[in-house]
Amino acid sequence: MTIRFVLLVNKQGQTRLAQYYEYLTIDERRALEGEIVRKCLARSENQCSFVEHRNYKIIYRRYASLFFLVGVDGEENELAILEFIHCVVETMDRYFGNVCELDIMFHLEKAHFMLEEMVMNGCIVETNKVNILAPIQLMDKSS
Amino acid sequence: MSSQGGWGSSKEFLDLVKSIGEANSQAEEERLVASEIEMLKRRNVEPDLPHKKMEEYIIRLVYIEMLGHDASFGYIQAVKMTHDDNLLLKRSGYLAVTLFLNKDYDLIILIVNTIQKDLKSDNYLVCCAALTAVCKLLNEETIPAVLPQVVELLTHPKELVRNKAVMALHRFHQRAPSTGSQLILCDKDPSVMSAAVCALFDPVTADAQGYKNFTTSFVSILKQVAEHQLPNLYDYHQTPAPFNQCVLAEILKRSDANSNIGNAILYECICIITTIHVSPRLLEVATEITSRFVKSENHN
Repeated sequence: MTIRFVLLVNKQGQTRLAQYYEYLTIDERRALEGEIVRKCLARSENQCSFVEHRNYKIIYRRYASLFFLVGVDGEENELAILEFIHCVVETMDRYFGNVCELDIMFHLEKAHFMLEEMVMNGCIVETNKVNILAPIQLMDKSS
Repeated sequence: MSSQGGWGSSKEFLDLVKSIGEANSQAEEERLVASEIEMLKRRNVEPDLPHKKMEEYIIRLVYIEMLGHDASFGYIQAVKMTHDDNLLLKRSGYLAVTLFLNKDYDLIILIVNTIQKDLKSDNYLVCCAALTAVCKLLNEETIPAVLPQVVELLTHPKELVRNKAVMALHRFHQRAPSTGSQLILCDKDPSVMSAAVCALFDPVTADAQGYKNFTTSFVSILKQVAEHQLPNLYDYHQTPAPFNQCVLAEILKRSDANSNIGNAILYECICIITTIHVSPRLLEVATEITSRFVKSENHN
């Protein structure tokens, strides 16, 4: 019933954002990311967005040059996660204004803060964009 | 917001990000990262870096670890940054610490003190930053140190703090089942309520009998959500434990099959229905919906 990790990877397989909700060492992460990305990049448009890898289910969605990948354990609802990914994108879009890969690279910490507001303990706790962005905007104003 | 680089980013950071973005091969990327690590190590031993520089330094460390290289020489700097008074720096420090460390590291002890102080802060954003860190970092030994403070924050005037306090307790329950926890299910703010639903899912699946009295609350919540009584901003909802068949049937009838989230809800309902003993009428509705799914053109 939980999300295990969230990854943003570009078409070349470079990781742009990685948030893990269970601990993996750097080598394990590297291996995992490499394998998953290869699997997802090899899939065509007509195949469904859900992949099984080891004991995770990976739900992915492509936006321009970026792949959003969410790894969940066996019992999570895939369609809901697909919508969650879209919610994340819409939130980032609202904050950055027409978000692109560069925005995420240059403001990595802000992207992480947004994700932190939305997912805690691997559960989706907030999808209301106003609530998600409020603390971040307040923080921007006070700095 | 411009994508030319945020305020305060130095030219070096911009160059690093750009060149990594443009690196054509694994070898080139490795070379860039290696030289970056060298430079950061040198900076590490410099005393008294200005704080903005420190933040950028930490973000670069996060970058390097994300690319798969070890940056453990810089962990202590991240820990130091959590002490900072500036909210952005503090939060970035907490972020770095949660990304680098996990519950078994000894450095956690250093953080617990800072967390305790921040949980008592007047600034609610600082409390939230501390609560977020609490969810990621603590284990059985360190939980008792912050537990009383977290329980007190359950009654904080700001709903964001209550929300995070609920999730922190959920985490404690996962790590140390002996922590007794009372959760406020019927809080007036929907996000606290949904956090509480999440948090209750685990204990309820473990011991369904003991939570029978929550059934009426669950049913009313589900009814509220299903009847669109929540403000329009909340368009995602989750079905909690499978106690309420009649309410599920209402959702089945109302969901719009063309929206993805409607489909997600239907899917969940079908899963639930197939796992519990139901009336024939519900089964009919379920099979009708399933055939709709299978015939649908959407490949998902």
